[in-house]
Amino acid sequence: MTTVNIISLNKTYPNQSAPVLKDFSLSIHDGEMVAFLGPSGSGKSTLLKLITGIERPDSGDIQFDDSSILNIDPNKRGAVLMFQKSYLFPFLNVEDNIGFGLKVQGASSQIIHAEVKRMLNLIGLPGIEKRKSGQLSGGEGQRVALARALVTNPKLLLLDEPLSSLDTEVRINLQEVIRNIQRELGVTTIFVTHDLGEAMAMSDRMALLLNGEIVALDTPENLFHRPRSLAAAKFMGVSTFLSGDPLIVQKEACSSSDKVFAIRPEHIRVQKDTCDQSMPGVVSDCVFRGEYVEYLVAVDGTHVRARMSMPAPMFPHGAQVFVKFPREHLFEVQNQESA
Amino acid sequence: MRDKPIFSPWLSLAPALTIVILLLGASLLYAIAESVGYISAIGQHEISLSAYRETLNLNSEFWTSLIFSLWISVASTIISAAVALTLAVWLSERSRNSDTFALNWNLAFPHLVWSVAILLFLSQSGLLARWAATLGIIQMPADFPVLVRDRFGIGIILSYLGKEIPFLTITILSVLRSQSIGFDVVAENLGANRWQRVRYVTIPQVLPALLAGSLIVFGFIFSSYEVPALLGVGYPRALPVLALRFFLDPDLRARSEGMVISLIITLIVTVVAVISLKIGERKEKDEG
Amino acid sequence: MKHFVTSKFRYILYLVLVAPLLLFIAYAFSTRWFFPQPFPIEWTMETFQHVFHDSQTIPSLAQGLWIASLVGLLSLILALPAARVLGLRKFRGRQLVWLLFFLPTIIPPLSVGMGLNILFLRVGLAGTIAGVVLAHIIPTLPYTIFTLSSAYARFDENYEFQALALGASPWHIFLNVTLRMMTPSLVVAALFAFLISWSQYLLTLLIGGGQVITLPILLFSAASGGNPSVIATLSLLFIAPPVLVIAVTARQLNQHGNQIREQY
Repeated sequence: MTTVNIISLNKTYPNQSAPVLKDFSLSIHDGEMVAFLGPSGSGKSTLLKLITGIERPDSGDIQFDDSSILNIDPNKRGAVLMFQKSYLFPFLNVEDNIGFGLKVQGASSQIIHAEVKRMLNLIGLPGIEKRKSGQLSGGEGQRVALARALVTNPKLLLLDEPLSSLDTEVRINLQEVIRNIQRELGVTTIFVTHDLGEAMAMSDRMALLLNGEIVALDTPENLFHRPRSLAAAKFMGVSTFLSGDPLIVQKEACSSSDKVFAIRPEHIRVQKDTCDQSMPGVVSDCVFRGEYVEYLVAVDGTHVRARMSMPAPMFPHGAQVFVKFPREHLFEVQNQESA
Repeated sequence: MRDKPIFSPWLSLAPALTIVILLLGASLLYAIAESVGYISAIGQHEISLSAYRETLNLNSEFWTSLIFSLWISVASTIISAAVALTLAVWLSERSRNSDTFALNWNLAFPHLVWSVAILLFLSQSGLLARWAATLGIIQMPADFPVLVRDRFGIGIILSYLGKEIPFLTITILSVLRSQSIGFDVVAENLGANRWQRVRYVTIPQVLPALLAGSLIVFGFIFSSYEVPALLGVGYPRALPVLALRFFLDPDLRARSEGMVISLIITLIVTVVAVISLKIGERKEKDEG
Repeated sequence: MKHFVTSKFRYILYLVLVAPLLLFIAYAFSTRWFFPQPFPIEWTMETFQHVFHDSQTIPSLAQGLWIASLVGLLSLILALPAARVLGLRKFRGRQLVWLLFFLPTIIPPLSVGMGLNILFLRVGLAGTIAGVVLAHIIPTLPYTIFTLSSAYARFDENYEFQALALGASPWHIFLNVTLRMMTPSLVVAALFAFLISWSQYLLTLLIGGGQVITLPILLFSAASGGNPSVIATLSLLFIAPPVLVIAVTARQLNQHGNQIREQY
């Protein structure tokens, strides 16, 4: 359907010194779902505004199938957005909400009726055409909003944290629904979220955003197991970095030019006895979390966060332990500057 | 169960409720009593429906006044609503804080003051007439069209427009602004062009509020005295003006007719208010 | 170009909205402004002084201010307990109470005034300030109650419980916690009760019966056939308090302005 090219986008809001997007480039394949993960202020929502045409970039280009869309009116771009709130029109029923995009395109009422029916089947809510939007639950509302966005066969679907106001259970269910529909229709999709688990569960590729730049772009598996840069590793929940030989635990950021190694918290072992590749430490916290135990151990003046699945030993505060960093789980990351 | 202070809400409500029920109730009772001829002031205690017969007699001035009042109210309401809708849509697309202030500013000018302004501006020796004379369009004050104290109530209608257009504009704007991102953006994203957004989104969105607001405006205009009293002519008179003339008639027996007209005005206004409330309720339920 | 047209239209709109004020100033402070002259040429304070020296002006101003202040205060006192219950409690009959308080906004002042005129004549309140104040409370009370009850609905009672748990007396809590948190709404409610009373013509006429004279009464009779300069001067005096209030409460108005607006 659509390949999306974002080329060297720059955007600085008036009255702000720092740019929201810096030389931002990205290509999205036809039918791919790319998740944008980043803290607020990282430029995620600005990017969506530039794509939909609510805002204009200072420079750069956005292309659908190799032709620029910047000079196309916002209502003709075919980049349809779905928000955190469903924004179903309260004065219209479900059928008229879903059919809205077709109606403004001038479709006949028979076509609208048939298409709405098809979409309702697709989202698993057949027969609710005549319901008022106020009578829908949060999850149903989002499904209808999804149907409304997809009914016109958009070139690009933009999901702006569509699930973040829902309860966990509904949320997980909807992740599945959205993912399956997206695959079935093969619509190119950008999914913005701040939830790591959700991004990994839904996307083909993930783009990690920080201060208007892409820090890393890869498949969820690659990013999780082997993030290439320090920043990406931190994004993915890694908090322990080591450097040099013999290995020394690093404080927060790494300033030395030596090689930096990282290890995921669940690969670090905390034990009573010493062994190879282990360092002595003092337990400062040990929290039982049900499926796993979380440890905070002071090692060499800094804190190492580790996580071991049950059964795992519990230690009192101040206990002398040894922390082991198995070599096979260490991976090299690039320093921030070179990332 | 005993812990629940069942009487306490009523205790708190008592002072305000007493005032409202006592004063409104008494005034309504007296109005009904006098309308059926029970006038203690002149020792008339016989009950009769003659005032109703007099008032509703096909030759009575009541009908002319009713039509005149309806004309003023309907015309003012419809024009206000149409202008306010246009203005609100126009302003909401280029919203500025100063707009709200400018519209609220109008609150400082009571209806009475607006009427005075209309009088000074539009009368035959008023400001507009002076400008027309300066431009050579007219020669003397008498050449200027009669726009206030005219038979068609043009001055009255213009005076109401000055007050009600800002009122309805603010009503509509507050509905449009209560949406944080705006359904307008959503509709545009779904492919609607500007006119389609106004037609399919903005108008349905504000219609309940506009309708309810218009009915309030209608009820207010229909029952208010100052403006038609100041800017109207001796014939035809607006209903409230007619009612008060009867009421203040030195012949106390005329009061019955005044009361009848006042009760009819109240009845019409109440019906309109109930319709307006129902519209508001339905709107709330829909958005539930 | 398009921007130029839009901004121009906006200024026309603003001009229409301030036009009455300019009109009054032109008429009030000019003299010998004869028919065909499009704008005043001679300015004077004479009319202003003349109006002020009129035996009726100052007393009617004072009386109007006094009545409106009393009405504002009494409306608040009556409205506060009722508003609290309506804003914070659910009880049987709530809907009915709400409707009862809504009634005075529906029933026209004309009908209320005519009925009350008879009642007050019998109980000796006609022609007294007390009677006029009582009559003015009818239209102001609903608005103070609605303003304050929506303020109470936003008020979190846990602040009171917290103060209670910290050892404060109920009276202390009411004064230093509840009233303090509600101050903005209280001010708005009182000011608008003041304004509704200040601009009330018909109820004052029917209850005051020519013995309680306020500015709208003076203005109305002047406007029915007086000198334009005097009419304009009285109008300026009449709108001075509202203009002040609007300027002071500009921010709060966005929330409450509209419900009160229609009572003028």
